[in-house]
Amino acid sequence: MPKKAIRSLRCPTCRKIVLASDPEFPFCGERCRIIDLGKWASNGYVISTPLNDPETDDSDYPSERAKKP
Amino acid sequence: MAAKDSQTAAAASAQGTKCAEQQNKTYVSDSDRTALEIYRYVESAGCGQWRATTLGDLGNVVGSYDAKLTDLLKGLWSQKYIELRKWDPAASQHVVFTEGKEKFFHQNGFQIKVAAAGRSYFESLEQAIAPQEPQKNGNGTSDGDYTADSIKVLGGMEAVRKRPAMYIGSTGEMGLHHLVYEVVDNSVDEALAGFADRVDVTIHIDNSITVVDNGRGIPTDEMDVDGERLPAAQVVMTVLHAGGKFDTSTYKVSGGLHGVGVSCVNALSHLLELEIWRDGSVWEQTYSKGEPTSKLKKTGTTKKRGTKVHFLPDTEIFTVSEYNYDTLAQRLREMAFLNKGLLITLTDERTTDQKTGEPKRTEFKYNGGIGEFIKHLNRGKSVLHDKPIYMEAERDGVNMEIALQYNDGYSETVFSFANNINTVDGGSHLSGFRTSLTRTINYAGQQLGLFKDVKENLSGDDVREGLVAVVSVKLPQPQFEGQTKGKLNSDIAGTVQAFVNERLGAFFDQNPPVARKIINKAIEASRAREAARKARDLTRRKGALDGGGLPGKLADCSERQPERCEVYLVEGESAGGTAKQGRDRRFQAILPLKGKILNVEKARYDKMLGHEEIRAMITALGTGIGKDDFDASKLRYGKIILMTDADVDGSHIRTLLLTFFFRHMQELIQRGNVYIAQPPLYRIKKGKFEQYIKNDAEFVRVMVKRAADGIVVRYGEGAAALEGAPLTKFMTTLNDFIGFFDKVNKRIRDEKITEQLPKADLTKRTDFEGDSKIPSTKIAALEKSLQAIKKERDIKSVELRFEEEHSLWECTFVNSQGAEHVINWELASTPEYRQMMSKYKLIEQYMQPPYFIETVKKEAGSGSNGKEELSDAERADQDKLEQKNPKASKRKTEETVEKSSPRELFDYVLNEGRKDYTIQRYKGLGEMSSQQLWETTMDPERRTLLSVKLEDLTETETIFTTLMGEDVEARRKFIEDNALEVKNLDI
Repeated sequence: MPKKAIRSLRCPTCRKIVLASDPEFPFCGERCRIIDLGKWASNGYVISTPLNDPETDDSDYPSERAKKP
Repeated sequence: MAAKDSQTAAAASAQGTKCAEQQNKTYVSDSDRTALEIYRYVESAGCGQWRATTLGDLGNVVGSYDAKLTDLLKGLWSQKYIELRKWDPAASQHVVFTEGKEKFFHQNGFQIKVAAAGRSYFESLEQAIAPQEPQKNGNGTSDGDYTADSIKVLGGMEAVRKRPAMYIGSTGEMGLHHLVYEVVDNSVDEALAGFADRVDVTIHIDNSITVVDNGRGIPTDEMDVDGERLPAAQVVMTVLHAGGKFDTSTYKVSGGLHGVGVSCVNALSHLLELEIWRDGSVWEQTYSKGEPTSKLKKTGTTKKRGTKVHFLPDTEIFTVSEYNYDTLAQRLREMAFLNKGLLITLTDERTTDQKTGEPKRTEFKYNGGIGEFIKHLNRGKSVLHDKPIYMEAERDGVNMEIALQYNDGYSETVFSFANNINTVDGGSHLSGFRTSLTRTINYAGQQLGLFKDVKENLSGDDVREGLVAVVSVKLPQPQFEGQTKGKLNSDIAGTVQAFVNERLGAFFDQNPPVARKIINKAIEASRAREAARKARDLTRRKGALDGGGLPGKLADCSERQPERCEVYLVEGESAGGTAKQGRDRRFQAILPLKGKILNVEKARYDKMLGHEEIRAMITALGTGIGKDDFDASKLRYGKIILMTDADVDGSHIRTLLLTFFFRHMQELIQRGNVYIAQPPLYRIKKGKFEQYIKNDAEFVRVMVKRAADGIVVRYGEGAAALEGAPLTKFMTTLNDFIGFFDKVNKRIRDEKITEQLPKADLTKRTDFEGDSKIPSTKIAALEKSLQAIKKERDIKSVELRFEEEHSLWECTFVNSQGAEHVINWELASTPEYRQMMSKYKLIEQYMQPPYFIETVKKEAGSGSNGKEELSDAERADQDKLEQKNPKASKRKTEETVEKSSPRELFDYVLNEGRKDYTIQRYKGLGEMSSQQLWETTMDPERRTLLSVKLEDLTETETIFTTLMGEDVEARRKFIEDNALEVKNLDI
């Protein structure tokens, strides 16, 4: 992946644009930081992989190779 | 603070909880042993209580107040209000005689504030405790016109001059400006009574002030004062507490700052000129330092009505003499807001406009009243609803005017006024409003069904985030608390509450969209408060018996110098166990982290880091967390190394951890403390030779190299030979190509058709462009090639379409199952398509099946071509292999194999490479022995670590946000578009 310094992101909590030079980066402010921390503290962050994710699931894709001798 | 609190708590005596509106009740001490008590106001959810802080010998504070009172106030300074009360044996009750603390504490710096407060308290105190001086204390040195009786009057004025701060708050800037407010208040009182609609204030170049109104004019007829006949105007100007305001029949409602009136201004002015226009006549009188310097004289006739007061503050009294335009403007604007329709002008003759030569002047007139006040307070902010909510009515003799509007901020801006006096410490009107606001919002939220996910009712704090409100009441004979009238004590909380309940409730009923916005904001506030509480729990210290406070599952190292230590954050208990055995315990610590699996349903597979894991990590790192507590210098390890499995799960845990570091421990990344371990994904073994390979790409490269060393591939019509380094290069690129090809094929769902795409060479937008009648050559060619295999692939139809939205041609086909697929610019601009095409260009010349693979007999040295391409380590490996098993690299027989497609060629070559090797793919760290883990991943001599950089993490953040997102469709699309990156989050 190309590595470039990103100058701004959206605040993870309120989605406002935050500049990398802002003191609370990547948050827009102390409050949003605390809300996010609270989310970590309350099991609020879950990465979810759908089992029918196209990455892992080919069930409805006729495998050409399988047919070959 | 804690010690002080316990002291105050212990001292809190028999005072029960009292709602704010009941605070004016008296407190009877059980003994009069204590002469003075300090009370602090404890607020909780709009219902506060006064608690006594009794110092046994507070009576002795007088005389040594500096140290003791200062200490006491220091201990209590964070309390919102404090009061000093004195036990009055005669009345058998406590008398409040100090002011709301904020008045004092808003001056200067904190230390000075305390000292100043101490002194002011003391001065007030001395006044209050001192025996009442006899009113007649005369030294009759005036001339014959003034009798002994008038000396009594002058005595009052002297008292003001002696202790001005008692009457106007201070002798500094605040007091100086208060003089103007006193005079203006008198004029506004005339407006309130309906007799005036205009007040003009002028600052002259000598910082004297003129206030003119068009009211009735102060009465000039004579009245009886202790047997002496004096003009009423003179009494007003010279007697404290004189005037019509104590009689509700004259002034139904009345302000007046300190109840001492304009006489104070007079007493503190070096010069005061009074001019009255009344009943067709003009009257004039002059004063100096409160003393008349002339008699009230009729000087002429007029058609005007009103009063003009011109005064010059006495520089002997005031420490400052300069008036601040903005300070006055702010106050006058406030007055204009509160009295809708009243025109107030402020002119500053000290400043002239350079263009017009006119003095600086501002007019304040607001027909919208406090509704406009709200708009003024919210200027430049983005508001939740366009119009302020406004309500006004008169009930039980109380005129109530309330306006409120929410903005998207988090702070509360509420102004409360009683009879135009800014009650900075609130009081019954404000508490009535607040109680009702909380109740009404909770009620409306339930009615609208917005509280499904909310556990508790919204608190007062929740509903006041972003609130801008003005509460103004006007009532006869208001009761205030404290000398500056900072707090309204009149018992009207119930009246205000009932009024707001009714009107605000009705407003919410009629405007559900606005109600929803406001309530949702309060719900957000409530969540934020809950989040903050949970965040605090993260670092809350556990009991003292926890032993050192380090998490139980941390296997710490023995070295104590942080820069020499490293901690491995290892995914999973079993891998953690292996790492513990494999580590060098002198400087390597291990913290196993368990990724919790949630929701074990069929549809999805959820992974998270539980709060215990996060807490353990924070504690182990030692840095603390949060804006105030995080301190990177307390980091207990020089390197934090994330070690997770090389699978999707592992990459998820790693993404979680990196996101957490990025968001809450960013400084550690900036300092270069965070690393990612590189455990191998494969081990290949043959005899005693073994090699670890870190990822799929490298595995393919190694395998292909081994296989390519000894075969020749012939391709195309001319049967050109491909061997050695070019063959290896072709094979690795082919591998990449096949990867992207498969992704593109997921959209097409027919490999044979997808195979046509690279040949059609549709890479640019222009390849799809064309006249609406005639398609571009390339897309037409594609259609032809699809038609050609139509029968073979059992395709129902193939056609070209002109898509009018973008004026582009597209090729569609309906497959054997009746599903339509489209080949268009949208497909050609996807990342996987572009990647597929770019890889294809690199190997296009070799993409000419059939392929004939000839295995050549390997002679000594014939593989050198291939070996040159290998890295040093690999070459060493191969040399080692050749030395130990010289026959291993020789193919057994010479034979020719035919393969009909590039994919089959690739599979064959890869399999050739794998021959004779035992290949182990590690699904997790746990499959390695502790020795293997040490050798491959943890030994500083042999391992490779990836250093995590901030710019990498901004990408992680994007990935994370998408993975976290609630938009399942967006997530699915993201995973598809970035499939390779997500698979190997190689950052």
